[in-house]
Amino acid sequence: MPEPIIKLENVWKIYQLGKVELPALRGIDLEIAPGSFVSIMGPSGSGKSTLLNMIGALDFPTRGKVILKGKDIARLSEDELSLLRGKTMGFVFQEFNILPNLTALENVILPMIFQGVLSEKRKKRAKEILISVGLEDRISHQPAELSAGERQRVAIARAFANDPELVIADEPTGNLDSVTGKKIMEILTDFHQKEGKTIVVVTHDPNIASYSEKIVNIKDGQIIVNHKQAKEVLWAK
Amino acid sequence: MGKIKEYFQIAFRNLKTRSLRSWLTILGIVIGVFLIISLLSLSEGIKQTITQQLRSLGGEMIFVMPGDISNIMAMFTSGAKLEKEDIEAIEKTRGVETVLTMSYQSLAARYENEGKTVFITGLPWEKGIEIMERFQGWSLKEGKWPIPGKREIIIGKQVETEIFEKPVEVSNEIIIKGKRFNVVGILNSLGSKQDDSSLYLDLPLYQDLTGEKKGTAQMAMVKVRDGSEVNKVAEDIKENLSETRKRRIGTDVADFSVITSEKMGDIAGNILAVIQFVIIAFAGIAIVVGGIGITNTMFTSVRERTREIGIMKAIGAKNSAVLSIFLIEAGIIGIVGGVGGTILGAGLAKVIEMYGQVHPMFYFSASITPGLIIFGLTFSFLVGCLAGFFPARQAAKLKPVEALRRYE
Repeated sequence: MPEPIIKLENVWKIYQLGKVELPALRGIDLEIAPGSFVSIMGPSGSGKSTLLNMIGALDFPTRGKVILKGKDIARLSEDELSLLRGKTMGFVFQEFNILPNLTALENVILPMIFQGVLSEKRKKRAKEILISVGLEDRISHQPAELSAGERQRVAIARAFANDPELVIADEPTGNLDSVTGKKIMEILTDFHQKEGKTIVVVTHDPNIASYSEKIVNIKDGQIIVNHKQAKEVLWAK
Repeated sequence: MGKIKEYFQIAFRNLKTRSLRSWLTILGIVIGVFLIISLLSLSEGIKQTITQQLRSLGGEMIFVMPGDISNIMAMFTSGAKLEKEDIEAIEKTRGVETVLTMSYQSLAARYENEGKTVFITGLPWEKGIEIMERFQGWSLKEGKWPIPGKREIIIGKQVETEIFEKPVEVSNEIIIKGKRFNVVGILNSLGSKQDDSSLYLDLPLYQDLTGEKKGTAQMAMVKVRDGSEVNKVAEDIKENLSETRKRRIGTDVADFSVITSEKMGDIAGNILAVIQFVIIAFAGIAIVVGGIGITNTMFTSVRERTREIGIMKAIGAKNSAVLSIFLIEAGIIGIVGGVGGTILGAGLAKVIEMYGQVHPMFYFSASITPGLIIFGLTFSFLVGCLAGFFPARQAAKLKPVEALRRYE
């Protein structure tokens, strides 16, 4: 079995609210294998977002280990972690997702700037990827001039800009109507199928989860079901 | 550090989106830099003018003026004069070689049907010319020295071309207070604009013209005999003068200022140093206030853009990248304010300088040097960066997960 992109080993996250300890994650073990499409489901307050932050190496566990590309993130400096995260992962958030002051193109270019990609190359790449998500005529638009669905497509384009192994989407369709939401999911599954990208989607919508080949259910900070579905079932839209 | 250009673009874009707030913050810096540049260039200009004038006063001379030099206002407004007895007392002092008395006033003059107020200096030609040539560096550009007692005048270099519409030439006539005077000579520049824009007249004629009492004068220049100690002679003159005054019944013991050219420089230098210190202190306060404005704006901006910062960090921005972007934003505010303030400040200084040229008494040039401009720009950029440092550091230190959680 190939090395997992990210591996959670007995991860606990405990929030301190005054004198009360509030465990959001309780001993999670999880591996995200390259090339997989994983959904994380659960009711609100179940710890999904906290789990997502762990998978995205955005936060550190209170106990346990998060291993990103074979490296314990607790041993990396903030800057090393930022660089590694920027290279390995892309993020699509629910809303307020792209920087409002930059055009669609500039938003997609931004992660490549942080990785030190050369000017010509990153512009070319950003254009290609915007075209692939169907935004060829929105390239120099400001976010305010784009619809919610278009903004989310820019976010997806940005998430894939550095050619990451893993893209994490946090309720990517949460603010969209069902037709637009479906379109967004199609773009994501396209990247998964055509380019073999690993995708982790956090959602509470079972329809969205049905796109995936692995559904992780989380409740009260614990994974309660971790079942694999057959591929035939998965792609039957 | 090869990403600075991109960070500049991002920072610039961020400022543009908040343009009203950016401009208001910039205005705070503009005011501070404007004050610094205009006041410094003017005070530096005054300093240069005075030093130049003192240098043109030449070597070991003693100047005697009625009034106390430490009370400048009283000195210029009291109209106190050196009386005949005073002048005699000076002449009798041991070590004194020559006493040259002088008076000056602004008077209305006409040339070629054009009326102007000009600065007129009266000094006795007989002994005056030689002393002025030797110790004040007088020399003729053209024409000849005037003959004592005749209605002949010489003019400073500026009078030739700048005061009247038509250039004044040798053997032209200038009418002062209704009396005709023949221009016989034009002086080379004396190094001080005030001296260059004066008309020079024999003292007795000057006194006829102005009604000043014969034998009196507004000031006296004393040439010390070779081998005499200048400071000692100055003290003796002062003593003699107060004795003379005491003897004269009904007259108060007036103050006299007896100063050597060296001491005059010291006094002027000290006064100017104090003035400049005060100017820098006040303008500095204005800059600090402007800087606090930047800090305030940047803190607000960091709060508003917390989520943006979170996104940038999530997609791979290092702390240094976030720090740079915010610092550059503050720096741009600083330097734009600096450019604006420098332009306005230099402009004001130039306007005041132009006003001064019309009024020869206030003549001085504003000193707008490249150094001052570079100082203004660098300083404002540094103030911007310094003021933006804490907000930028706060932004850079935000944990991505916390930044993303806010405003959700």
